[in-house]
Amino acid sequence: MTGAAVLRRRVAGALLWLFLGLVLLFLYGPLLPPAIHSFEGTSGAGPLRNYMLIFEDARLLRALRVSAIVGALVALIAPVLALLAAEAARIWRPRLVIGILLIPLFVPGVSMGLATALLFQILGLKPSLLTITAVQVLWALPFAFLVILTALSGFDQVYLEAAYMAGAGRLRAFFEVELPQIRQGILGAALFSLILSFNETIRTTVVQGGYNTVQTFLWSQYQQIGLSPPLFALMTLMIAVTLALLALLALLDWRRRHAG
Amino acid sequence: MHSRRWRRPLRLAPLGLPLLAIAFLILCPLAITLAVSLFEKKGFWIRPALSFEAYRLFFDGVRLEVLERSFWVASSSTALMLLIAYPIAYLVTYRLRPELTRGVLFLFAVPFLVSYIVRTFAWADLLSRTGFINRLLIASGLVRQPVDWLLYSDFAVYLGLVTAHMPFMIFPIWLALSAIDRRLLEASWVLGERPSATFWRVTLPLSLPGLFAAAIFGFVGSFGEVAVSRILGGTGYQLLGNAIGSALDVLNYPLAAAVSTIATGLMLALLLLWYRLFDVRLFLGKIMGRA
Repeated sequence: MTGAAVLRRRVAGALLWLFLGLVLLFLYGPLLPPAIHSFEGTSGAGPLRNYMLIFEDARLLRALRVSAIVGALVALIAPVLALLAAEAARIWRPRLVIGILLIPLFVPGVSMGLATALLFQILGLKPSLLTITAVQVLWALPFAFLVILTALSGFDQVYLEAAYMAGAGRLRAFFEVELPQIRQGILGAALFSLILSFNETIRTTVVQGGYNTVQTFLWSQYQQIGLSPPLFALMTLMIAVTLALLALLALLDWRRRHAG
Repeated sequence: MHSRRWRRPLRLAPLGLPLLAIAFLILCPLAITLAVSLFEKKGFWIRPALSFEAYRLFFDGVRLEVLERSFWVASSSTALMLLIAYPIAYLVTYRLRPELTRGVLFLFAVPFLVSYIVRTFAWADLLSRTGFINRLLIASGLVRQPVDWLLYSDFAVYLGLVTAHMPFMIFPIWLALSAIDRRLLEASWVLGERPSATFWRVTLPLSLPGLFAAAIFGFVGSFGEVAVSRILGGTGYQLLGNAIGSALDVLNYPLAAAVSTIATGLMLALLLLWYRLFDVRLFLGKIMGRA
C-alpha cells in the first residue's frame, strides 16, 4: 500500500471515531442540565434546598410509594412470564412465540396505553396499581424475554437430559439443574424490568386513574405549571437512580463473565 | 386410556397456559382498540356499532394534516437515525476489539434507558433562548442574538426523536452484522471486489433484517410520538400520538381508537412484512445460539 493510501485510511478511521464520540456526547449531554438547575434558587438556604423541597411534597411521596410497589411487581412478574415464554419457545413454534412476544416493543406508547385501558374498561377493572403494573409488565416483557433467551442459549440442554436419566422430573430438573445456571440472566432481566418500569411515562399516563408514579407526577407538573428547580432536583435523582441500577446490572454481568 | 389421553395436555399446561395469557394480554387490547374504533360515541360513553364515523372525522378534519406530517417526520427522522445507527453498529462489529464490544454497546444502552422524557426536558433547556447552546454561540462570537429556531421547531423535534429512538436501533443492526459469516466477506475479497463493492453487494444485503427491524422501531416510535413533539415542537406541533392524546382529553374514545388503530395497523403490516421476508430465529442466532 502506498503512503497516501495509508494516510487516507488513518484519516478515515480517525473521522469514524470522532463521529462515535460526537454521538455519545449528544446522548450523554442531556443527562447534565437537570443536575445544574437543581442547585438554582438556593441562595442562603443551603445547596440542597431543592432536594429537601421535593421530599416535603406529600403527592410526590405517594407517587414514590406507587413507583416502588409497581417497580417491584414488574421486576417480579415480567422475568417469570418471560422465562415461561422462553422455555415455551424452545419446544413449540419459536418463530411464532418470539414474534408475538416482541410486538409490545413496536407499539407506540400511547396506543399501548389506550389499548390496555380499553381492555380494563371492558373487564370492569378500575384504574389501580394493578392496571399500572399490567401495562408496564407488557412494556418490560420483550426486553426481559430477550435477556432470558440470551441466558438460556448459554445453557447446554445436555444437562437436562442427564437430570432426566438420573430420574428427575421436568420440574426438579429445572429447579436443581437449569435454574442455578441461568439465575444471573433472570436477575438481569428483573433489574432491566425495574429500570424500564421506573422510567416509563406515556403508557402509564393512560391507565393511571387517580394514582401517580414519579414519572407521571413529573409529566403532569410539566403540563400544568411547567418545570421548576425542585423538579430538576427530582429529575437529577431519577437519573442517578437509573444510572446506579445500570451500574449494578453491569457489575452483575461482569461477575458472571469472570466467574467461570 | 383416560389418563394417557390427559397426560399430554397436562404436560403442556404449565407452559401453554402462561403463553396463552401473554398472547391474550398482548393481542386482545389491540383487537379491542380496533373494535372500539368502529363504535358510536354516545355522550361521554360509547355504544357497540359498525360505524366508520371516527375514521371519517379523522380523515376529514385538520387531523389529516397531522397524519401527513407524522408520516413525513417519521420517515425522514428514521432515515436520519439509520444513517447514524448503521455506521455505529458497523464500527462496533468490524473495527472494535471483540472484548470491547459489550462495553461499547452498553455505553449506548445507558442513555436509552434513562427516561426519554427527562432527556427531552433537558434538550428543551439546552436549546432555549437563554440555554447553554445559545450562550455558547454568543460567547464564541458566531452570533449576536440568541438563535430562535433551536427550540419549538422542526430542528428541535428531529433532535429529540433521534436521541430518543436511535440508540436502540444500533442493537438489531449489530445483531445482523455480527451474524454475517466472515468467510463471505473474505470470498468477496478473494474474488477481487473492492471494499466498497463488498459492502454494497455482500454486507449491506445480509444486514437487511437488522436494518429493517431498526427502521420499523424508529419509524413507529416517531410516528406515534407524544412527548418529544409536545416538549420540543411547541403547542401547535402535533404528531399522531398527540392526536390520540387530544382525542382522549375530550373523551372521544372511538376517535382515539381509530387514530391508534391506524398507527398499530401500519406497525403490524410492517412487522408482518419483516416476518415474511426474514427468519426471526436466524436473526436472533447470536442471542439464541444455534440449536
